Amino acid sequence: MFKPKTKAQTTTLFAWALIAPAALVMFWVVVWPLYETFRLSFTDSTLGTLMGGAEYVGWENYEKAIGGRKFPSIVTRTFYWMFLSVGLKVVLGLIGATLLASNIRGRGIFRALVMPPWIVPIAIGCFGWLWLYNGHFGLLSNFAEMAGITDGPYSFLAYKQSAFYSAVVTDVWIGTPMVTLFFLAAMQGVPRDLYEAAYVDGASRWYRFRRITMPQIMPTVISMALLSAIWTFNSFEIIWILTEGGPRGATTTLIIDTFKTAIFSYKFGAGATRAVLVCILLGVFSLIYLTVLGWVGKKYGYAGVQK
Amino acid sequence: MATVKLENIYKSFGETEVLFDINLEINDKEFVVFVGPSGCGKTTLLRIISGLEEVTSGSVVIDDKDVSNAPPVERGISMVFQSYALYPHLSVFENIAFPLRVAKVSEKELEEKVFKAADILQLRDRLDFKPGQLSGGQRQRVAIGRSIVRDPKVFLFDEPLSNLDAALRGDMRVELAKLHQNLKTTMIYVTHDQIEAMTMADKIVVLHDGVIEQVGSPMDLYHNPKTKFVAGFIGHPNMNFLKTSDTDIKQKKLSANIGDFTLDLAVDVSDIKAGDEVDIGIRPEDLVVSSNKGGAPMTVDVVEHIGATVILYGTVLGNSDFCAVLPSDSVVKPGDTVNLTLDPFKCHAFDSSGQALLKS
Repeated sequence: MFKPKTKAQTTTLFAWALIAPAALVMFWVVVWPLYETFRLSFTDSTLGTLMGGAEYVGWENYEKAIGGRKFPSIVTRTFYWMFLSVGLKVVLGLIGATLLASNIRGRGIFRALVMPPWIVPIAIGCFGWLWLYNGHFGLLSNFAEMAGITDGPYSFLAYKQSAFYSAVVTDVWIGTPMVTLFFLAAMQGVPRDLYEAAYVDGASRWYRFRRITMPQIMPTVISMALLSAIWTFNSFEIIWILTEGGPRGATTTLIIDTFKTAIFSYKFGAGATRAVLVCILLGVFSLIYLTVLGWVGKKYGYAGVQK
Repeated sequence: MATVKLENIYKSFGETEVLFDINLEINDKEFVVFVGPSGCGKTTLLRIISGLEEVTSGSVVIDDKDVSNAPPVERGISMVFQSYALYPHLSVFENIAFPLRVAKVSEKELEEKVFKAADILQLRDRLDFKPGQLSGGQRQRVAIGRSIVRDPKVFLFDEPLSNLDAALRGDMRVELAKLHQNLKTTMIYVTHDQIEAMTMADKIVVLHDGVIEQVGSPMDLYHNPKTKFVAGFIGHPNMNFLKTSDTDIKQKKLSANIGDFTLDLAVDVSDIKAGDEVDIGIRPEDLVVSSNKGGAPMTVDVVEHIGATVILYGTVLGNSDFCAVLPSDSVVKPGDTVNLTLDPFKCHAFDSSGQALLKS
């Protein structure tokens, strides 16, 4: 029995053939590593078992990770790190974008000047900050001493609290430019007529910002904040270069902990577990975030679009 | 009670001068239309009255008060924008209420005013909608509603109908005219469409290249254009212009030769001498087909039947793009030749600088 293929079937086959190469690459670089991480997280894989012999250990890794003495404080610290840093980036980004959107002489130059922290490779930027924070040779310590705030060299990265907030400052420094530029682009998309109409009606600058600019750029702020949150949550190189998660774990976030476990201690299985936990936590966070903002958006009509 | 007076207004953007010595008086309750081709400065003039642009020199006087340097809100004006400028994230209610919220009007009074405006504009059942859910005409009405609630002394409209389709534009013209009758407020309206100007205005201000060409009632502009520009701009289809090949002056009358034809026109000839070149303006609707063999032959290229009339395009006395409007029962086909004639009294004549020679 031989049934000639219908035209629709041929078209479908052809479509699959066209996306096959891309699908294969995606499988190779995304799906398989994800699956492997997931699989590893249920094994006792370490450097010693690398040549084979890693065994399935069930939920043991998860029990150990979540039940660990430091785990709650690491999770809390990670979220605190994320909220603080993203909050600062969004606020500074809004202020910066508003200033850059204003009609001032030479605003092209100012717009270009925002870019460097973002253009400079992160590692190089971080080394710059490393020197700034240095106790004996650092600019900041020197200034603080000259201004009489400290009475001797102060090593910003040597103390738990100051190390954490120093890392936040660096992270904000690196992360703000892109947020600013996205906000600026969104602000420029707001039709000028709206501001003029409000101005004719007597609305002040602040009123116009509050009732026109903010609602109009809200979709951008929401998506940018989420992206920034994910990046900050997983921000690794800044902390690693500045403090390697120290002193005494004061800057150890989940991603640092994952790296320390998996790569430094060669506990691949336990590290993979942490990576999976990061995924789950971020997924849950994103879901809650988007749901809440969906409600808010509906109530205030942020997502309203006009032709 | 609101009059608007513009005195010696000049405006330039950097090096570019866009308005020259604008002087204009607008009476209370008048519907004034600024009309002109794009780039003539009409929108800039409106924005100067609104306070969105500053004058370079000169003054804007509203109700005998010089407001040249006052912010818009203190001028007692409200403006409807070409794009409507509705806030897409706010409901129709909040859009209309916006100026009142800015002015911190009490909630009760605010609601009253919004509902009143919504009733006038038939938007009562649309108050909870977002602008994006409305049709073009409804958005237009919301924009008007937003300016009504402020109870302005002067309404300013910046090409408010240009984003609507032709049928809706006709309806909105009527609605705006009615609105003007109801509100009895001074209105200033900017458009590039001379039909809007003709149908709605009490007074038309024709602007061209930053100067006022002529101010007058629609029919005044139609019958007595002071310049060739106004003559060509007002009226549809456009006025035909024929260049004279020779002119003569006989018994204080202008005798204009166009090819083999001679028109004797009763116009003021004090500034004209024999031999001067003159443009003769003829409205397409003033032409009639001559019953005998007299008149100028027109070779017809295109025939448009628009119901009430028939519009012919063709060549007359060597001038292509000549247009004639005939009664709807005229039987003419492309390629035909018709003999056209007209009452010389209905002709317009313009000197070489484009100024009309007044009819004497």
